[in-house]
Amino acid sequence: MNQMEPKTFGSNQEMQDAEKNFLHRRHQRARLAQSVFQLTTLLAVIFLAALLVTVVNKSMGYVVVENKVDPSTLSDRPLSELNNTELAQILRENLRKNRVRTLERAGFLEDQSQSTLVQLVETEIIQPEVVESYNLFPSLIKRSKIKADAASTYPNAKVEFRYWLNGTFLTNSMASQPELAGVRSALLGSLQLILITILTAFPIGVGAAIYLEEYASHKSRINRLIQTNIDNLAGVPSIVYGILGLALFVRALQPFTSGALFGVDGQNGRTILSAGLTMALLILPILIINAQEAIRSVPDSLRQASYGLGATRWQTIWHHVLPGAMPGILTGTILAISRAIGETAPLIVVGASTFITSDPTGPFSSFTALPIQIYNWTTRPQPAFQHIAAAAILVLLIALLSLNAAAILLRNRFAKRV
Amino acid sequence: MPRNTLNRQLNMVQDEILILGSMVEQATRAAVGTLKSRDLREAKLVFEQDQIINEKRFAIENAILILMATQQPMARDLRTLAALLEVNTELERMGDYAKGIAKVTLRMGNAEVNLPMVEINQMAELAVGMLHRALSAFIEENANLAVAIPKEDDRIDELFNTAYSKILHEMVANPSTIDNVNLALWVIHNLERMADRVSNICERTVFIATGELFEMDGMDEEDLNV
Amino acid sequence: MEDMNQPSKYAIETRGLNIFYGDFQAVKDISLQFERNRITAIIGPSGCGKSTVLRAFNRMNDFVPSAHATGEVLYHDQNINHPSVDAVQLRRLIGMVFQKPNPFPKSIYDNIAWGAKMNGFRGNTDDLVEETLRQAALWDEVKDNLKKSALALSGGQQQRLCIARALAVRPEIILMDEPCSALDPIATLKIEDLMRELSQNYTIIIVTHNMQQAARASDYTAFFTMDTDRSGIMVEYNETSLIFTKPKDQRTEDYITGRFG
Ligand SMILES: Nc1ncnc2c1ncn2[C@@H]1O[C@H](COP(=O)(O)OP(=O)(O)OP(=O)(O)O)[C@@H](O)[C@H]1O
Ligand SMILES: [Mg+2]
Repeated sequence: MNQMEPKTFGSNQEMQDAEKNFLHRRHQRARLAQSVFQLTTLLAVIFLAALLVTVVNKSMGYVVVENKVDPSTLSDRPLSELNNTELAQILRENLRKNRVRTLERAGFLEDQSQSTLVQLVETEIIQPEVVESYNLFPSLIKRSKIKADAASTYPNAKVEFRYWLNGTFLTNSMASQPELAGVRSALLGSLQLILITILTAFPIGVGAAIYLEEYASHKSRINRLIQTNIDNLAGVPSIVYGILGLALFVRALQPFTSGALFGVDGQNGRTILSAGLTMALLILPILIINAQEAIRSVPDSLRQASYGLGATRWQTIWHHVLPGAMPGILTGTILAISRAIGETAPLIVVGASTFITSDPTGPFSSFTALPIQIYNWTTRPQPAFQHIAAAAILVLLIALLSLNAAAILLRNRFAKRV
Repeated sequence: MPRNTLNRQLNMVQDEILILGSMVEQATRAAVGTLKSRDLREAKLVFEQDQIINEKRFAIENAILILMATQQPMARDLRTLAALLEVNTELERMGDYAKGIAKVTLRMGNAEVNLPMVEINQMAELAVGMLHRALSAFIEENANLAVAIPKEDDRIDELFNTAYSKILHEMVANPSTIDNVNLALWVIHNLERMADRVSNICERTVFIATGELFEMDGMDEEDLNV
Repeated sequence: MEDMNQPSKYAIETRGLNIFYGDFQAVKDISLQFERNRITAIIGPSGCGKSTVLRAFNRMNDFVPSAHATGEVLYHDQNINHPSVDAVQLRRLIGMVFQKPNPFPKSIYDNIAWGAKMNGFRGNTDDLVEETLRQAALWDEVKDNLKKSALALSGGQQQRLCIARALAVRPEIILMDEPCSALDPIATLKIEDLMRELSQNYTIIIVTHNMQQAARASDYTAFFTMDTDRSGIMVEYNETSLIFTKPKDQRTEDYITGRFG
């Protein structure tokens, strides 16, 4: 920008100077305001970047892996080249009888697939253990030092670069060793939970918003009371919803939420259904308020046009108000879901399991969810758990972003129809 | 009260009309005066000055049209402007009558003619007086005043009749001057018509005030629901 | 409504109509007769209750919770304020065109077809669309673009579309609340011509701030003003030609000559 003296208009020199001064001060204030806003935006960007950087930093880097048993002592060829008989042979030779019997409960070792056998050899015999792990930045900067340190401290160990967020991490279930643990059941749990949340909260929320905006008289005391309550509920801490969910869904409605009512053999109400309903309760006020806002933003002239043609209230709502409000309603839903998918506290109260190795099988199964898993891992002392927690956070973020992307696509389709 | 522009311009047009009116009055008096004085220079002047009256009439008409186009007058304003347009035309016609009288003087030149000057002078005075009061009533939009004026027309008609028979007698008595005496008929006719046109102005005054339009001469007071 | 088809002298008639917003009386004791197949203009200063009265004719005031009316609005000899009257049907028979053009955010075609469909129209929609667009003098301008969004039309075209949309549900009366206030003079004149055209088949009641428009376009004019307590009253109702040349009431005179207030 060139700092040329700006031209001002006017013939009277004195007036011009006064005005120039005044103008100058006004411009200065305008520039100040602009810089303040730029600064705040910058800060927000920095915080966001810092979050991403820490997570990504932790989610990959060098690891020092030490094997309990050196694979070369088991066979002179790499494990992957061995056939079933040879692998079964190795297992039988190196494991205790009891363990072998346990493993063979389902069938002879020889009859299992080669890759399963390789995995068994690795987990049961070789038992690789991460003895030292590094974050991404140290790994990039101090690569040779890491290698040298590892060589001197753990002469038998191997140094390799590991992406903690990898295929097996996504497909493995929970395990007690961080190297073997995965997010599969937590991810599935989260997705099913959100599905239940959306399916309950969306219709109820939109319905309530329609009633409050289009039908209810704004003057009636009861309706004003309801409105005030909804506004306040949006600010209630999530743990309170957890307690409510515990009392209502887990305990009071146990026959329903455990599935006993439907002939499912559920033992208790600590199910995905309970959690989903609790989450629905949690986001309902947000959803209603957003939907109300969206409905209110549909211009009154459209309603008048519709009524003026002899349309009924419902025809007006269905054909004009809802399509007009839908983009706004979906935006509100996106925000609500984002909140729900990251909530931890109510899930803990409602009784999400922190250690579960099986996939959720439906609304009546016990479950865990991503935030629970992350919370659980971050509380563990072993450094490797911190890395998989970071990887799980990435999974959570990606899940969140894809849900949002889907909602945005949907919203744009609605907006374009106009 | 809004409409200041319209009010101001309306007043300006009304002033112009008054000026036009006094020009007509003056021309009438002067023209009738030359009949007696035979001041041919003066008569020529009156004859030529009708041109100025004509021009003024066009200027006023133009101003009224501009006002109508730009101010979109309604109701009373509209009636006032329409009436002003009408009165404007009437005054110009009256100017023509004065011009006609001056022309008579010019035709007669210095010839010896026996004219009923008493009646002619009275008619002229009456007509000019009626015009003057009619214009005042018009500008003041005073219907009561306006209604009274056309009744004076009866007096003018009387004078007209007296003058007419005097002229006929003179024609019979002095056939040699018949050409010039005949011109006197023109004079009294013009003066009589002038008084008729004053009635028109009074009709417009009532129109502005009440919105009613009707023919006024020969009308009894009871018929005018003013 | 039993006597919906019995002919009545007037298209609509009010007798002692009072309309309140809560405690505030917006209009007071309005008695007016609207002639069939004529254009009647309602003029008057802002806030004198013109729109309020107009909305009373198709019960649009129902959507204002605080509003209530006493007195009668007779349509086919039936007081439409009576609770037994179906306001939905009434609004089809008494259509409305609003101050700001408010087409639906749909295509031109759908704008017209929608109302008809909602009211159970069974005939050929294409024909209906063409017919009403022709009636509204819009057909030639849009016939190649019926699928285009109505929002892409100019303001004047949008307003004519709104008129066409109102015609498509076969009303008897068309109420217009300042239909030209957002339009340029040419579009305004087009709408006025259109109103004249439509008055052969419809009764039109128009509220306007534009006195020239009332003078140009209407057969009858009602002048409303505000009483000392700010509620609206009807001052004078007469043929338009008389109202604008020789109004009887001084308040009318003052208003139409622009010497109001
Ligand atoms: N929804 C409402 N609630 C309360 N008062 C209202 C409402 N609508 C109108 N009013 C009041 O009723 C009176 C008449 O309003 P209305 O809109 O009918 O006036 P109008 O003559 O159409 O004015 P304008 O020419 O400005 O459109 C006004 O005093 C207004 O404040
Ligand atoms: Mg209005």
